[in-house]
Amino acid sequence: MPVAANTRNFSIIAHIDHGKTTLSDRLLEKTSTVTMREMTAQHLDAMDLERERGITIKCHPVTMMYQSKNGQVYKLNLIDTPGHVDFAYEVSRSLAACEGAVILVDAAQGVEAQTVANHHLALEQKLTIIPVINKIDLPSANLPAVNKQLEDILMIPHEEAIKASAKMGIGIEDILEAVIERVPPPTVPEDGLLRASVFDSVFDSYRGVVMYVRVVSGTLKRGTGITMYATNNSYEVKEVGIFTPKQLKTDLLEAGDVGYVVANLKSTGEVKIGDTIMETSRMAKEPLPGFKEIQPMVFSGIYPVSSDDFEQLKLAMGKLQINDSAFKFQQESSAALGFGFRCGFLGLLHMEIVVERLRREYDMDIISTYPSVVYEITLASGDELKIDNPTYMPDPGTMLEIREPVVRAFILIPNECIGDIMQLVAEKRGILENTETLDASRVMLTCTLPLNEILVDFNDKLKSITRGYGSMDYEHHGFRAEKLVKMEMLVNGEPVDAFATIVHRDKAEARGRALAKKLVDVIPKQLFTVAIQAAIGGKIIARESIGSMGKNVTAKCYGGDISRKRKLLEKQKEGKKRMKMIGKVNIPQEAFVAVLKTGD
Amino acid sequence: MIRHLYVHIPFCHRICPYCSFYKHEPGSTDTAAFLNALTVEALAARRKWGRRIELETVYFGGGTPTMLSTTHLERWLPEFRAALGIEEVKEWTVEINPRTIDARKAEALLGAGVTRASLGVQAWDQSSLTVLGRDHAPEEAEEAYQVLRSACFPVVSLDLMFAVPGQTLEAWQYSLRRSLALQPDHLSAYNLTYEEDTAFFEKFTRGEYVRDENVDGAFFTEAMRMTGEAGYRHYEISNYARPGFESRHNQSYWSGEDYLGLGPGAVSTVDRRRWKNVENTVLYMQDPLSGGLGEKAAEHLTDEQWACERIALELRTARGVEISWLPDGSRMQDVVQGGLAEIAGDRLRLTKQGKCVADSVVAHLWV
Ligand SMILES: Nc1nc2c(ncn2[C@@H]2O[C@H](COP(=O)(O)OP(=O)(O)OP(=O)(O)O)[C@@H](O)[C@H]2O)c(=O)[nH]1
Ligand code: SF4
Ligand SMILES: [Mg+2]
Repeated sequence: MPVAANTRNFSIIAHIDHGKTTLSDRLLEKTSTVTMREMTAQHLDAMDLERERGITIKCHPVTMMYQSKNGQVYKLNLIDTPGHVDFAYEVSRSLAACEGAVILVDAAQGVEAQTVANHHLALEQKLTIIPVINKIDLPSANLPAVNKQLEDILMIPHEEAIKASAKMGIGIEDILEAVIERVPPPTVPEDGLLRASVFDSVFDSYRGVVMYVRVVSGTLKRGTGITMYATNNSYEVKEVGIFTPKQLKTDLLEAGDVGYVVANLKSTGEVKIGDTIMETSRMAKEPLPGFKEIQPMVFSGIYPVSSDDFEQLKLAMGKLQINDSAFKFQQESSAALGFGFRCGFLGLLHMEIVVERLRREYDMDIISTYPSVVYEITLASGDELKIDNPTYMPDPGTMLEIREPVVRAFILIPNECIGDIMQLVAEKRGILENTETLDASRVMLTCTLPLNEILVDFNDKLKSITRGYGSMDYEHHGFRAEKLVKMEMLVNGEPVDAFATIVHRDKAEARGRALAKKLVDVIPKQLFTVAIQAAIGGKIIARESIGSMGKNVTAKCYGGDISRKRKLLEKQKEGKKRMKMIGKVNIPQEAFVAVLKTGD
Repeated sequence: MIRHLYVHIPFCHRICPYCSFYKHEPGSTDTAAFLNALTVEALAARRKWGRRIELETVYFGGGTPTMLSTTHLERWLPEFRAALGIEEVKEWTVEINPRTIDARKAEALLGAGVTRASLGVQAWDQSSLTVLGRDHAPEEAEEAYQVLRSACFPVVSLDLMFAVPGQTLEAWQYSLRRSLALQPDHLSAYNLTYEEDTAFFEKFTRGEYVRDENVDGAFFTEAMRMTGEAGYRHYEISNYARPGFESRHNQSYWSGEDYLGLGPGAVSTVDRRRWKNVENTVLYMQDPLSGGLGEKAAEHLTDEQWACERIALELRTARGVEISWLPDGSRMQDVVQGGLAEIAGDRLRLTKQGKCVADSVVAHLWV
């Protein structure tokens, strides 16, 4: 097979915050892809949300030209990836477009859970691995320990590792040279037929869907007639280009390239991530291997604050889905919230990001409900059922069994924390399967845990117990039958469907009390006392009340003040539109959000 | 018919740190020229509205109207009356600060037709007065009251303020007791509020002053109790009167009657149109008809806005609001069932309990 000899495709992968995006900055500078004047810190984190939170959410491709010490010029396609476990899917898609992976390890933090997990992903795809120990400038850097972890945990000889500081610009050239020397150039099938793999897409209001592609063979240019293998729809290419990281129109994309294609695709249904683009007149026989369809595991209702915005929200979600193929949505309705959507996410961070993006990028005023996992139910009739919304849990009398999703978690922690972490696992209804000593100071616990239990605050607790040194990765591990019940929250005696949750029977009281307390905190005092109750099957298990509003005595109100007073009321009315009226109680949006943040 | 007139005199000896009215120290303002400007505006108003003006009440507010010297008042008041063709009004109030009144000035006011004196006492304990930045001592307020009484003003009202930073419930009871001992015809008791662009507001946002609804409520309840026992009628949230001595002028605002406002910063409302004169004495004096300019920028109150104001203002009064203004009957049922209001004929009025949460009841009914 011929090769695109001077092309190298690689991703940077690591645990969260180990410095992938900062390293990308240095690579962009070193290769003069971005001029010093244009340069901003964490340049590839282009989304506002990424910049604010300081984390990468999506994979970010960029093409760099680099003259090696050997005198030749190389085209380097780099993909920066997210480190957070929710976005592992972005990492695996990025890796599929590459032959190599730079795996970063923070010199102070050492190997962490997603280092192991992402290293695994790269090995599965048979990529060449370039280990880099980053942040060697830190006073707390511990090179001997990290060297040893590389060998003991990842089985990488430490001599292979490049010592670098993305912050100080140390080791940057070594990394570029290593990519050229160690990562093989892409191999290209000889038949010359067009095969391009779609690994991501974004929606652009002017050009429609912009597909991110890796061209495996053949060429793509303006005017090429293409067929999407999965949908069998045909289009004409309008534009191709590369990422600099801004989209830059080019004449063509050829075998080995990473770039983008615009071809008049307008809607979500038309693009499937992992699909193969072929040339309509000369179709290849087989598509490229696709990606595993990703199943969302966390669900929540998203509702427009004003019911007038329903259609608008639907459109926005459609567009967002093009930018985020892991996000799923489907229409539903709630007695408390009206018409909205049940949405599927990869995890809680993913959910938060989607909600934030809908708010900001699409200017939607929305409420999201408490996240739920999906449950499997066997009915007495023998029928099987799956529910992702607690409201729809059937009557307990009609159920034979209810099963909840379980994950297998890999928890990497310092030795001395093992007792506390085992206790945390037990509290979360986990079952410890294995304890493995990784090196002198660290252990890896393998355990099964109900997904529901790790959704909200498990990671925070893990971090606080281990003072930041513990980390966790997990994979889905089937379903397990449990004593699960539906808990309802009643506001002045009326159940609020948006607050219903499914909980383990043994934890229901504690959870009910916590939720009721939280609601008391977030629902403003009303004219009258409001009762907040938690109930299981009609039986009240916790109760709280919101006392009625304190005194408000107004000051003088004469001629000149009248308009001012009225304007205040008008503003209040505006504010109330953003609340949901349940019974006689105005529940502010924050209540729905705050309930999210109630751990138990 | 325009039956009510407000006149704004924006001068104060010194600026109280809680005050958000349009006012300033007189500085080099030419008082005679200022008064002349008021006359000019009055003439213009008369020309414009003609026979629609048939005044029943006049109210001189501020600022401090009694900053005007007796000489100025004696010279100007008759001229001003003539400009508007004022024959005899039923009620003519002047706001008076202690230290700015003496027997001569009281005579001058009475002679010009003033019927009602509203004395800004604010508090009877020196420490509240100091916090409020008032320049009079309790004895001076007492002296002023006696001056007014000796001059035989038909109605004398006292203004008090509660929930002053640092004020204890005992201090408030003392202020109430000492006020009632003087047997004024009318008493206003205002809850101190923190208004933007005041020194108090800054301290409030910095957390130096705090507002405690329960404390406010306790002060208010105490005012209701003590005035009630002394035979005063609580005819509006902040106002108490011996029967028959209610302020007509203020009632006109609450019930939505038309009124004209003269002077810098004064507000007028006629035919559901509301405008405000320029809040700048210098500009006002250059062109006293800027009131007319203000009118061009008048706010036209929609039916909804009008209803909102009716509810917000009339519900504060003892008569209550006409039920037909309420947009949502079930909301009314809520507050009636909750014991916050009661239905009397075609009106809804607050109960004692409701008065303590008047703003929230309004919000519930209208919002
Ligand atoms: N001292 C030091 N800090 C670094 C270095 N590289 C990155 N950082 C800091 O580490 C933090 C995380 O850096 P990022 O580049 O955003 O990390 P990331 O791996 O892209 O993070 P995610 O995309 O969220 O997974 C930032 O505060 C960087 O400034 C380094 O070499 N030395
Ligand atoms: S005297 Fe009255 S108008 Fe003047 S500043 Fe004090 S409170 Fe305001
Ligand atoms: Mg990053």
